[in-house]
Amino acid sequence: MIRIERRLTESRWLLLVVPIGSLIGAVVLSGIILFFTGHDPVDTWQRLLDRGFFAPGALSASLVQATPLLFTGLAAAAAFRMQTWNIGAEGQLYLGAVGASGIGIALSHQPAGVIIPAMVVAGIITGAAWAAIPGVLRAYTRTNEIITSLMLNYVAGLLMNYLIFDSHSYWRDLSTFEARVFPLGKYLSDAGNWPNLPITGIVIPLGFGLGIAAAAVLYVLYRSTTFGFEARVIGDSRAAAHYAGIRTRRKIVAVMALSGAFAGLGGASEIGDFRHVLDPRGLQQAGFGYAGIVVAALARLNPFAVVVVAVLLGGLSNAGFALQGATFPAGLVGTLQGLILFCALAGELLVHYRIRVRRPAGTAPIAPQPQASSAAGAGPA
Amino acid sequence: MKGSGRLALTMLAALGLGACGSTSAANTSQPFKAAWVYVGPTTDHGWTQAHDDGRKVVEQQLGSAVQTTYKENVPEGPQVATVVEGLIADGNKIIFGTSFGFQDAMYQEAIKHPDVKFEQATGTKTATNMGEYFGAAEDADYLTGMALGAASKKGKIGFVAPFAIPEVLREINAITLGAQVTHPGATVQVVWTNTWFDLAKEKQAAQSLLSLGVDAIGQGQDSPATGDAAKAVGVKWTGYDSDQSSYAPDIWLTGTVYHWGGYYTDRVKAAMNGSWKSDNYYGSISDGLIDLAPFGTSVPQSVRDQITAKKDAIKSGSFYEFTGPLKDQTGAVHVPAGTKLTVSDLYAMDWFVQGVIGNPKGS
Amino acid sequence: MVTAGRIPAVTMRGITKRFPGVVANDQVDFEALQGEVHALLGENGAGKSTLSNILTGLYRPDEGEVVIQGKPVTFRSPRDAIEAGVGMVHQHFRLAASFTVAENLVLGHRDAADRGLLLEPKVVEGRIADLSRRYRMPVNPRARIWQLSVGEQQRVEILKALYRGARILILDEPTSLLTPQEADDLFQTLRLMSAEQRTVIFISHKLEEVMAISNRVTVLRRGKVVGTVMTKETNQRELARMMVGRDVVFTQKKEGPAKAERTVVLELRGICANGDLGTPALREVNLSVHGGEIVGVAGVAGNGQRELAEVIAGMRRRTSGSMAVSGKPTRGGNPLEAIRRGIAYVPEDRLGTGVAPTLSVAENLVLKSYRRPPISTGGLLHHRRIRTNAEEVMTRFNISARGPQSPTRLLSGGNIQKVVLARELSGRPRVLVAASPTSGLDVAATDAVRALLLQAADQGDGVLLISEDLDEILALADRIAVLYGGRITGIVERQKAAVEELGLMMAGSTGAT
Repeated sequence: MIRIERRLTESRWLLLVVPIGSLIGAVVLSGIILFFTGHDPVDTWQRLLDRGFFAPGALSASLVQATPLLFTGLAAAAAFRMQTWNIGAEGQLYLGAVGASGIGIALSHQPAGVIIPAMVVAGIITGAAWAAIPGVLRAYTRTNEIITSLMLNYVAGLLMNYLIFDSHSYWRDLSTFEARVFPLGKYLSDAGNWPNLPITGIVIPLGFGLGIAAAAVLYVLYRSTTFGFEARVIGDSRAAAHYAGIRTRRKIVAVMALSGAFAGLGGASEIGDFRHVLDPRGLQQAGFGYAGIVVAALARLNPFAVVVVAVLLGGLSNAGFALQGATFPAGLVGTLQGLILFCALAGELLVHYRIRVRRPAGTAPIAPQPQASSAAGAGPA
Repeated sequence: MKGSGRLALTMLAALGLGACGSTSAANTSQPFKAAWVYVGPTTDHGWTQAHDDGRKVVEQQLGSAVQTTYKENVPEGPQVATVVEGLIADGNKIIFGTSFGFQDAMYQEAIKHPDVKFEQATGTKTATNMGEYFGAAEDADYLTGMALGAASKKGKIGFVAPFAIPEVLREINAITLGAQVTHPGATVQVVWTNTWFDLAKEKQAAQSLLSLGVDAIGQGQDSPATGDAAKAVGVKWTGYDSDQSSYAPDIWLTGTVYHWGGYYTDRVKAAMNGSWKSDNYYGSISDGLIDLAPFGTSVPQSVRDQITAKKDAIKSGSFYEFTGPLKDQTGAVHVPAGTKLTVSDLYAMDWFVQGVIGNPKGS
Repeated sequence: MVTAGRIPAVTMRGITKRFPGVVANDQVDFEALQGEVHALLGENGAGKSTLSNILTGLYRPDEGEVVIQGKPVTFRSPRDAIEAGVGMVHQHFRLAASFTVAENLVLGHRDAADRGLLLEPKVVEGRIADLSRRYRMPVNPRARIWQLSVGEQQRVEILKALYRGARILILDEPTSLLTPQEADDLFQTLRLMSAEQRTVIFISHKLEEVMAISNRVTVLRRGKVVGTVMTKETNQRELARMMVGRDVVFTQKKEGPAKAERTVVLELRGICANGDLGTPALREVNLSVHGGEIVGVAGVAGNGQRELAEVIAGMRRRTSGSMAVSGKPTRGGNPLEAIRRGIAYVPEDRLGTGVAPTLSVAENLVLKSYRRPPISTGGLLHHRRIRTNAEEVMTRFNISARGPQSPTRLLSGGNIQKVVLARELSGRPRVLVAASPTSGLDVAATDAVRALLLQAADQGDGVLLISEDLDEILALADRIAVLYGGRITGIVERQKAAVEELGLMMAGSTGAT
C-alpha cells in the first residue's frame, strides 16, 4: 500500500538531501538505460559533466545557452508567482528581438554607449507591450491568458517571418550577396555587439550579467515592495485581494508586462550578445520561451534558483550535443536529459509530499493532523 | 550475472564523478575523423537524410581509415559554434555543415582552427580552410517537371515551395519549363511555406493547392508531407532530396535527388592525404551529385524514354534548360534567344518564367 | 435508551496518539453502545477528530486498543474499518462532483470491484431507493453531485456509509453547513438509525444540538476525556463547563450610551444592488448605524445579507441609492475608498476573503495597512515593522499560532477570525461590518469574537452585525433590522423585540418600525 500525501511543513534537511538523492536517482536510472543500450555509463556521465561544465570553455558555452533561459525563466517566475499563467515568453522574446534589432539597426552609427542601452530599453518595452495584450484581455474581458499568450507566440513567429522572408521590411538586408542567396536580416554594427565580461577565464555575456541583475530586481520586488506584496495576495486569493482594496486588474496587466519585459530583454540579449541579426529561423528553432517554463518550475519560482537552473539546463543542452553521434542517437540523448529533469521534479515532489508505505507491522510513519497545531489556540480572548 | 555486477560497479563509479577532467587518449594510429552537422533529423526522408546517406557512403568507401560522426537537430544560432568546438575537441579534422544558417559559425570556427577543414553546403563564404558546395538541382528539376507535365491532364500543376530565394526560384522555373515540354501551356502554382522542414505546414500548403484543383504536385521541401496530402486525393507527386517513393508508390512519379556520397568521399580522402583545397563546388547531373529518382510505376514507358533522352542530352552538354529565349510572367522576353544563363545568374535569380502562378518575392 | 443488557458497539481503551509537539489523545477511554446516539463534545483541537480518525483507520494509535462488536481490531486503512462496519461522514464531503449519486455509492467499493467494476444501475438504484425510504433521506440516485444542495450531498455521504454496511456511523460536525430545517431532517434520520440498533457517534461543539439528539455525551478537553454523562441528566451549562474547563459567561450586551448622544456613522438611502447572477438582490434598503451602536441584521441566508455587506465594503457596486460615512457621501464600488473612509469588514468567507490563506499571519495583519507608513514607505515594505506589529497584535488579541510567519491557513477557525478582527479593529474604523462572525467557531472563540464586537462598539464604532443566528443578534444588538427578499422588512429596538415578531418578519411579513 503506497500513498502520497502533502507535507504540512518542509523540513530543511530535505531541501539539501532531496537534490542529492535526485541526482543519485538520475545517475542510477540513466546508468541502467545506458548499460542496456550498450554504452559505458561512467564514460557517458563523465563526458556529460565535462562538456557541459568542466572542460575548458564548456562553462562559457553553457552560459550562452543559459542566458536566454535565465530571462524566460524569470519571465515565467514573475507571472506564475501571481498565479498568472504567461505561456507567451516565447513570443515576447521574439518581440524583444524585433525591437532591439530594429533600434540597433537604426542607431548603427552611434557608439556602443548609445546603442546598447537603447537595445535594452527597446527589448524591455516591446516584450512588455506584447505581454500586456493577454494581460489586458485577462483583466478586462476574463479571457484565459494561457490560450491568448500561447496563440500570440505563433503570431510573433509569423511577424518575424514576415519581416525577414515575406517583405522588404526595415529589418531585412536587401543589399548583400548572402542575403540574396537566402533572406537575412541586417546585421548590427560592431558597436552594437554587446561586450562580454571576462572573469577568471569564463566568458560572461553582458546579457547574463543583466539577467542576474534582473533576478535580483525580481527578488526584491516580490519580497520587499508593496507591488510584490499585492501580487502575492492576488496569487493567493483574488477575493482577498479585492477585499483588501487591491486593484487586481491593473496588477494583472502590470505583472504580465513585467513578465514580458524579462522575456523581451532576453530577446534583446539574443540579438546583442549572440546573433547580431534578427534570425527568425534560429530563434523559433531554439524554443527558449517554452524551456523557460521548465526552468521556473525547477527553480520553484525563486529568481536566484532560476539563475542556477538556467546554467544547469544550458550545460545539459550543450552536453547533449556532445554526447550525440553516429553511435549515440539523439533520441537516447533526449531520454537522458528527460530522465535528469524527471528525477529533479520527482525530488521536488518529495520535498512537498511524502510517500507512505503501509507495512503489516504497526510502525508506519504517520502524518501530523492539521488541528494539532491549534490545540492550544482555543483559549479565551 | 557478470553483466549486472559490472553495471553496479559502473554506476557506483559514476556517482563519484564531477571532479574528473577530460582525458583525451593520444593514439597515433587512430582513424581520420570526419563530422557532419545537420539542422534536421537524419530520419527526415529528405535533405538531412540525403546528407547522412552520403556520410554512410564515406564509411563504406574508406572503411576503418575513417571514423565519422554527426550532430542532428542543431538549432541555427550561437549553439552551432559550441557543437563545432565539441567536434574539434573530439579530434574531427573535417566538418561538413549542411544548413545555410550554420555559415557564420562555421566561418568563425574556420578562422579559429586553421588546422581543421570546413565545408559548408549551400554557402557563400570561403576561406583557405573552408570550402563551399552545392549541386545544380535545376537540371534534374527540369526532368521532374517533364514528369509532372505528362502526368497532369489539365496542365494545372502545384508546387510547395520553402523560401522565395534564388535556389528555389530556379528550381520552380526549371520545373515549369520542363512541364511545358510534355504539356504545352502548363502552369505551376506556387505556395510558400517559409520553412524547409515542417510536416504540418508542408501538408497544409499541399492541401491548399490540391483544393484549388491542381492535378499534379511537386515540392521543394525536405519532407515527404506533400506526398502524404496528394495520396489522400490520388494526385501524382514528385519528391525532393531523396527517393521518397516508398511513401506513396502509387502516386510517385520521380524527383530530384542528391547523391552526396561521392563528393564527401573525395573530400575526406583529400583531407586525409593533404590534397584538400578550398573550392566552390557546383555538382551536376553529369558528375552524379544530382540525379533523378527511379520512376514510379504509373509513369508510362514513352514518358520515361522522353525524359531519359533529355537527361542524356543534359549530361552530354547538348541541352541546357536555361537557354534563351525565356519569357517572364508578363510574357516579356527576359533572356534573349541564344543567351545561356551563367551560374552567377542562377545565384541571383529573382524572377519567374511564364507559366508560374505566384510571387517571386514571396507570399 | 441505554439499558444494562446492551452490548457496547465500540470500545476504545487507553488510546494515546502523539504528533510532533502535541498529544492529541491522552489515555482516552470511550465506549458507544449499540443503538445509541453518542455525542463527542469538545472544542476545536480537543482531540475529537483524532479519536474518530483512529476509529476509522486513518490513524493508528500509539497506545491503546480498539474493540468493535466485542472483537479487538487493528485497522490498517479506512477500508479495514469499513469492512468492520464503521462508516464516517466527514465535515467536508468526499464525493466525485461530476458522477451520479449511484456511481458515488459504488466508487471504490470492493463489492463493485469484485464484479469486475461493472455497474448494475438497476440493482444499485433499487438499494438506494430502499435505504432512502427507510431513513427518510430523499435523493435522486441519478442526479449528479454538483446538482445537489449541501444537505443532499450529506445524505449521499450517509447513504454511502450505509450502503457499505456501516453499523457504526461517525458524523463530524454534521450540521455546520446545514440550514436549520435540514438539520432537523438529519436528526430524524439519526433517530431512525438508532431505532434500528445502529450506533451513531456525533461529533460536535454545539451544545444545543448535542442536547437535542444524543443519548449520552463524552466530553473531551485538550486530548483527555473529561467525562461521559447521560444527556437526560445534564444541561447546557454543565456541558459547557466540562468542555471549556470553567464557567462560560455568555456575553451579553450592556446598555450603550443614550441615542441622543450618538452621531450617525453609516447612512444607507435607497440602496439597490444586483447579485452575482445579475438579478436584483437589494431593493431600496434604508438603514443607519450610529457610533457606539450595534445594529443586527437578521434574516434567512440568501435574502441579500452578503450583497448588503459587500455594498457597504465597496466590494459590490450599487445600482442606485446613496451611502454616507460620517455624513460624507461615498462613490461606492471601490474597496479602497471604503477602507480609507474607515469601513472595516469581517467577511463571512474568512479563509478565502478575510485572509490570504497561504500568506503568513504577519502579512495578513497588514493586509489593509501595507500601503502607508510605518508598514511601508515609498513602496518598500519594512519587514521588521511587519513582524513587530504582528507580535504586538497577536499578544493583544490573544492569537495562537506557531509564530507570526506561520501560514494563516494552518490556524484554527477561531484564530483566523481573530486575525481578521484584530486587523480590522486596529485600523481604527468608524464602521465595522461583521458577517456571520461566529459561524463554525467553538464556544470560547465565539465568546472572544463577541467580546471584540462589543469592545468596538464601546470605543464608539458603529457595528453592523449580519447573522443568521438570532440568539446572537438578540444578545448583542441594540437594534435589529430584518432583511427579507432584499428589503428591510422592519427595524425594532432590542428591548421591544419579540422572537415571534422577528420570525414573522424573516418570513416576509412587514412588521412595525
